[in-house]
Amino acid sequence: MAAPKPEEKRRVFERLASIREVVFGIQDGVLTTAGVLAGLSGAVNGRSQVILAALASTVAGALSMGAGAYLGTRAETEVIRSELRRAHAEVSDQPYIVQESLMEALAKEGLAREASYRVVKLLSSAPQALSSTAEEKIYGLSQGSFGNPALDGLLMGVAFLLGALVPLLPFVLIASVHAGLIAGLGATALVLFAVGYFVEGRLSDQRYPALAGARFLAIALGAAAIGYLIGLAISPLGAGS
Amino acid sequence: MLKPGDVAPPFDLPCAFEGKIGHLALTSVRSEMIVLFFYPRDFSFICPTEVLGFHKAQAAFKAEHTSLVGVSVDDAETHLRWAVELGGLSYPLLADPDARVTREYGVYDDSEKVAMRATYVLDAKRNVAYAVASSINVGRSVSETLRVVRALRGGRLCPADWQPGDASAAVELK
Repeated sequence: MAAPKPEEKRRVFERLASIREVVFGIQDGVLTTAGVLAGLSGAVNGRSQVILAALASTVAGALSMGAGAYLGTRAETEVIRSELRRAHAEVSDQPYIVQESLMEALAKEGLAREASYRVVKLLSSAPQALSSTAEEKIYGLSQGSFGNPALDGLLMGVAFLLGALVPLLPFVLIASVHAGLIAGLGATALVLFAVGYFVEGRLSDQRYPALAGARFLAIALGAAAIGYLIGLAISPLGAGS
Repeated sequence: MLKPGDVAPPFDLPCAFEGKIGHLALTSVRSEMIVLFFYPRDFSFICPTEVLGFHKAQAAFKAEHTSLVGVSVDDAETHLRWAVELGGLSYPLLADPDARVTREYGVYDDSEKVAMRATYVLDAKRNVAYAVASSINVGRSVSETLRVVRALRGGRLCPADWQPGDASAAVELK
């Protein structure tokens, strides 16, 4: 069986790295929309007004989250590119310093000093190999550190939209506001558990994926509950105005 | 660190020389002067530029009746492998793994647990005639060490940047 090529492995890792945007987007979309539905259901009488407000919040949230992910990844990429240029210049201008630092880094990872010396000496025969190894081992940077701003933005926005549909769809489909809200919140809990179960539990080969699902649910709902409690605590401040 | 005029502390240490492990004592070095240079570690990338620099200039030092001796806290076996790695060296490398001699010469870097980049030139009476140390990251100048040896052996006052053969070499004492 042929071993996978490094480029294929890198592509797989890059795809897996996008999981961050997907998980973040879904979680935020689910909770934000559930929060909007729960909050407005108590405050606004008309069901259609609640749905319209939730839809507006969903679209605004998806656009905002997508733009935020795009800008964040773009800024991160620019910073990493700049650091890589600096690291590359250091390899060219001060090879001895870089060689010594690389030796220290390899020795810290358990390689004997003499073995580290020979590895670095061998790498030094190919400046590009020395440069890329130094970038990774000394500076913690690599070409694979670059995200794709457009892809990250798109994934984040779509994930937010999909997440928002989870509490929104039951609310739209069920005529009763109360029953729709209960169903929406139930679906929210179920999806949060499922995201934790599959992403944290199954994809990362955890022994108890259900535990990963429960943890994800608890953290997401816990954050929402803390936010709700803080809202309750500060609500008297606005009572007089 | 010792200063010019101080008596050089005696040593008798294992060493790697000419592909073998032996012992070298300060009292057994017969040359008129000695360049005793301390360096941080074997198997590094700055040290070999100095170690090989002294190796290449060994004939010039010998012409000045000066022996070269390198010292680090590595053991003699490591020195031997290091010398082989560098293609052989024309002078001994002393092994001071417990850093006793390195400390006596005042050039032990406590934070890095290695010898500093320090150079001593010892005169015929085995007193310190010249002492210099630099940062671990900065290699020393072999040609400057040779210039100092030549200046010291000349027994004259030498102005800044004096070079052998300079017309203005001798500054007469009035």
